[in-house]
Amino acid sequence: MSGQQAPVKPPTRRRSASQWAVAWRRFRRNKAALAGLVIVGFFAFLGVFGSTIAPYPARDPVCFYTGCTSLGPFVNWSHPLGTEPAGYDIYSEILQSAKNDLYVGLGATLISLGIGVSVGALAGYRKGTSAALLLGISQIFFVLPALVIILLFARIFVTLVAVGLGLTLIMLILGLFGWPGIAFVVRGEVIRLRELEFVQAERAIGASNTRILYRHIVPNILSPIIVFATLTIAANILTEVAISFLGFGDPNTATWGLLIQEGFQYPNYWWIAVFPGLAVVFSVLGFNILGDGLSDAFNPRLRE
Amino acid sequence: MVTYFFTEAGVVKAVDGVSFSIDEGESVGLVGESGSGKTVTALTILGIVQKPGRIVSGQILYRGQNILQLNQEESRKIRGRKIGMVFQDPNSSLDPLYSVGDQLMEVVRVHSKLTKEEARKKALSLLELVKISEPEARLRAYPFELSGGMKQRVAIARALAGEPEVLIADEPTTNLDVTIQAQVLELLRGLQKELGMTLILITHDMGIIAEMTTRIVVLYAGRVAEVASTKDLYKVPRHPYTYALLKAVPRIDARKQLVPIAGNIPNLITPPTGCRYHPRCPYATQECTDVIPPLEAAGEGRLVSCHHWKELATKKELTFA
Amino acid sequence: MAGLLSYVIRRLLFVIPVFIAVSILTFIIANAAGSPIDIIRHAIQRITPSQLAALQSFYHLNQPITVRYFIWLNDFLHGNLGQSLYGGSVSAQMLPWVSTTLELQLVSLALSLGIGIPIGLYSAKHQYSKTDVAVTTASIFGYSTPVFLIGIFLIIVFSIDLHWLPGNGAVSPYAPYWWGSVFADQVAHIILPATALTLVSIAVYVRLIRANVLEVLRQDYILAARASGLREWSITYKHALKNAITPVVTVVGLTVASFLAGAPATETTFGWPGLGFRFVTAALNLDLPVVQGITMVITIVALVFILVTDLAYAFLDPRVRLS
Repeated sequence: MSGQQAPVKPPTRRRSASQWAVAWRRFRRNKAALAGLVIVGFFAFLGVFGSTIAPYPARDPVCFYTGCTSLGPFVNWSHPLGTEPAGYDIYSEILQSAKNDLYVGLGATLISLGIGVSVGALAGYRKGTSAALLLGISQIFFVLPALVIILLFARIFVTLVAVGLGLTLIMLILGLFGWPGIAFVVRGEVIRLRELEFVQAERAIGASNTRILYRHIVPNILSPIIVFATLTIAANILTEVAISFLGFGDPNTATWGLLIQEGFQYPNYWWIAVFPGLAVVFSVLGFNILGDGLSDAFNPRLRE
Repeated sequence: MVTYFFTEAGVVKAVDGVSFSIDEGESVGLVGESGSGKTVTALTILGIVQKPGRIVSGQILYRGQNILQLNQEESRKIRGRKIGMVFQDPNSSLDPLYSVGDQLMEVVRVHSKLTKEEARKKALSLLELVKISEPEARLRAYPFELSGGMKQRVAIARALAGEPEVLIADEPTTNLDVTIQAQVLELLRGLQKELGMTLILITHDMGIIAEMTTRIVVLYAGRVAEVASTKDLYKVPRHPYTYALLKAVPRIDARKQLVPIAGNIPNLITPPTGCRYHPRCPYATQECTDVIPPLEAAGEGRLVSCHHWKELATKKELTFA
Repeated sequence: MAGLLSYVIRRLLFVIPVFIAVSILTFIIANAAGSPIDIIRHAIQRITPSQLAALQSFYHLNQPITVRYFIWLNDFLHGNLGQSLYGGSVSAQMLPWVSTTLELQLVSLALSLGIGIPIGLYSAKHQYSKTDVAVTTASIFGYSTPVFLIGIFLIIVFSIDLHWLPGNGAVSPYAPYWWGSVFADQVAHIILPATALTLVSIAVYVRLIRANVLEVLRQDYILAARASGLREWSITYKHALKNAITPVVTVVGLTVASFLAGAPATETTFGWPGLGFRFVTAALNLDLPVVQGITMVITIVALVFILVTDLAYAFLDPRVRLS
């Protein structure tokens, strides 16, 4: 080597990646998760533009007048998915219903999030009786037979007392009963985080509780919240469809559940129930796959 | 031995040609930074590398027999009975749903034909062997009721339950309090003498290695850098990496400041070409980038994997002044 | 054992406020529909004044609502669930309704656990294999589908088109009976509804078990067990499955707890005369005493099973008992 040394190479610096960038990279590699994103995007598009694309207005018995009732699918291309005996065009109805089902699903989830995150965060951050009280309330709501109470509520208020507010009321009541799950998750995370050293350090320098809560704790609980929210949307859509199917929904609003119920009355015209059913399955599927994908992206389980 | 992990991000070449031999009754240290392949080497020896990892090639010769070639049942009989292992984290290496006694007895009974009562007595004697306090009471205890140090003693007892001839200890004290560390190391040393076991001690702590072992294998990025007796290694390291490791540790015969090793541990999916240490080595030349240095003899019972070890030795570059 | 007892007592104390909350909620909502008299009037056009007076005193309509609540609660605690607005004592019909629902739910639960757990376990042990991918895909579709939709599909195919199985009711009301005997007739009737429920449940359990087993298999104690030379079946069942199953116990417990509550859509689709079906019918007909009674029964049964689940969990996981 004759006394000559190779120049010392500077250590390669890896670009420090924020946890979001890392998660996004992982998400991108997950084919199923991307599929979920595409499906959700598709239904979001339907939700926003469904009414505009739909050839006929909602609940319009078009074929009743033009004599194309009870048509099978793939026969007449102005009614590609068939029609009902009452005259509704299935394709059009599905498109018109999209925004309603999604409205309830998303709205209820947002309400549950709002309540659940607040209750959970407070229950986790505080100690003592107020925390125990909040935990107790969460447990009580968790244990209530939600579906039964929701059905009862829907029956009374949607059809009798406050006719016309139908879907919004269902959304409210679904949201009002769906929050304990997220409250428990948030509470658990907050408890875990508040004991961490960086929080103690913040307290030591005199940061106020709200500052600690919002600048440090909340960003760390966002990922489980996002995952939970996605999966809750899926569950809420399923519940809402069941409510409409049973006849507890708003009979004047087009929803997939209502269509399936109408289809059930004419089992020989299978297309009336099956196509809206497929819309339900795929929209829920999309949110479920997306939720799983997000969960995997945030919490990798691969061993080194 | 060659063990790779086939992940979505790429093939992680965790162990890429590691070779060494151990004599019976020896106490050998396996040293390196995290990511050097120490644990994977241990898992490869036992043949328990899990997906997505796979042992790509190599042999593990135990008393002349290649145990990697054995079928499932036969290799199972080696584990615990001939070679035992203690893991790093005592909080997760014991099943939380079973009592200490149950877990010890389980291992005892799978390797012998003892009855339940006899196994229980053996479990008790194992706890006494690892010098745990109140062994009778501990038999009925669950892992979560014990402290870290006690759990690790139980883990050692379980590793010894099959009366193995070789004990692999993977960072046995890293997760313990400093005061407990000394006790557990003391215990291991004592056990090795008492039972005449062969000990493979895996650690990144140069201080521990010095006390506990008679020979050391230095690993870097999945390859062997150097093999030497403990005394030789500490007095006269021959590999620049070993030298750097030692310079980062306080020692009584050096007056200079502690020098951390420059650079980062290499990415094992796309490791550096040639000698894997060359990006961080102050003595690296073009040859080091192009050609993998062979592991060659460097004196009595010594092996070094470096293109320039002879020059560095002659020039006494790797000394502590 | 003292730890277990205090645990039980703590759980029992929790049950009481839930019961009270549900009773108040139910009572308020139900009575928001209007007084029972209006509802009866709706169905029966002509009521004489004396009948009216009798009804008024029977339903205590001259009392303020809070008093009515306590009267109702008192009756309920004495086992008197009132009279259906369409006739008949509610409490007398409760038991047959409950057992009909239980029949369907228990059959489903047994099948879905019996099939779901082995599949989930196999899938986890052979992660990334073709079987695992197929299982995971099928299971996601499974729990994304409403049970009643599967029910409708099954009815269309197997009952209406193929006429292989009955798609309505729990028994044939008169001869001819399906498949020969009354018993076989009942078996024939339960097949389609149980299949619909089971398919979705299997999907849920497979996903749960698979996720839990995968999580457990990553743990050090599994690797340590392997390093100790334990047999493969011992590792799989005694260690991996046992650790993975405890969260499943919670889910099963919650499922059982909501047995009575979770059935309305399925039962309605198949005309299965259980509690869910009766609830839906009663709610649609505004038969409020029935609705109130069923809600309370569902709540109580749910609470009992949640308690049982907690106990089972404490039994399986020693860490819960001693905290």
